[in-house]
Amino acid sequence: MPIISVNNRDVHIQELNTAASETILLVHGMLGNLSVYYFRIAPILAKHFHVVMYDLKSHGMSEKITTGYDLNSLTDDVAHLMERLSISSAYLAGYSFGGLISLKMAVRFPHRVKKLVLIDAPNPNDDKTRMMMDAYNRESLENYLNGPNKTKPGKRLIDRKHRLYEHLFHETTIKRDVMGERDFFSAAEIAQVKQETLLLYGCYSPCLEAGESLKGKISNAALVALNGDHDIPLQEPEKIGNMMESFFRNQMAQA
Amino acid sequence: MDTIVTAGKLNNEEIFNLLKQFITEVIGEEFAEEMDISMESSFNKDLEMDSIEIVAFSEKIKAHFGDKIDFTGWLSDMDIDQLIALKLGMIVKFIETCQ
Repeated sequence: MPIISVNNRDVHIQELNTAASETILLVHGMLGNLSVYYFRIAPILAKHFHVVMYDLKSHGMSEKITTGYDLNSLTDDVAHLMERLSISSAYLAGYSFGGLISLKMAVRFPHRVKKLVLIDAPNPNDDKTRMMMDAYNRESLENYLNGPNKTKPGKRLIDRKHRLYEHLFHETTIKRDVMGERDFFSAAEIAQVKQETLLLYGCYSPCLEAGESLKGKISNAALVALNGDHDIPLQEPEKIGNMMESFFRNQMAQA
Repeated sequence: MDTIVTAGKLNNEEIFNLLKQFITEVIGEEFAEEMDISMESSFNKDLEMDSIEIVAFSEKIKAHFGDKIDFTGWLSDMDIDQLIALKLGMIVKFIETCQ
């Protein structure tokens, strides 16, 4: 597994088509990992692009870190990763909380972001995330995983998830840091984003309203509602991969 | 080390043993010993591997076989349900066909 050191921290990355001249950087969401892109979406993008995926701190196979889950720290991480990989600028895409990281990148480091795709990025003002983190315990995890329409996972899988959630919610600053971003959507800085932005949302997702809100705030944004909910990258990976590829390649053709 | 140089074609049993070794490296010997790893084992239900462990397993296959086997390309044609239900024997067969 490619584990690289970025600022003396171990970061798990995966790269495809390193020979391509243009790079797409993919950011996953909270409690997820890079596998959300690895199997279906990244191979589509890698036909024409160098694709970089990485695991956020404490997620997937990256090192466990107790602090720095606010958007400034997380975008510093992205900027350092890009420097470490000698990528001066890239097409950027983020899913869920990774969408907020990507949007913040466009705000803080506009010269590093060529174009932006935000996939079902939530409004951080939504209380549901805070309530979920506050109420978390092993029982709530098991109830969720054993819910309707879900394949009942075994003990080892539940243990692994539980260890991650316990670490994030009880041993790190993630709750406080995420709550500190509540007003991100009301910040004037979002209106300063000039990059062409594609907003991909599930038409049944509770986050769709956030997508509509961002469409109104970002001057050069288009919103597409796909058939699915917040799990849209798993439900429509091929469609998302193809739409992203076409969106990113258009600019290349114009350049 | 992930990268192993192989010479010649592997038979079914050799491929199975290699994949079993990869799984053991990914999930750890302690868990692997408890599992009855067979051709019929599915990654999620039987081996209880999560998505990032399946990434690690895929990387080991790529590192071992190189360009001879487009394993992630093969996986990319599957939807999430097919991926979850994927059995070890199907991968053995795929690798055998590609060699």
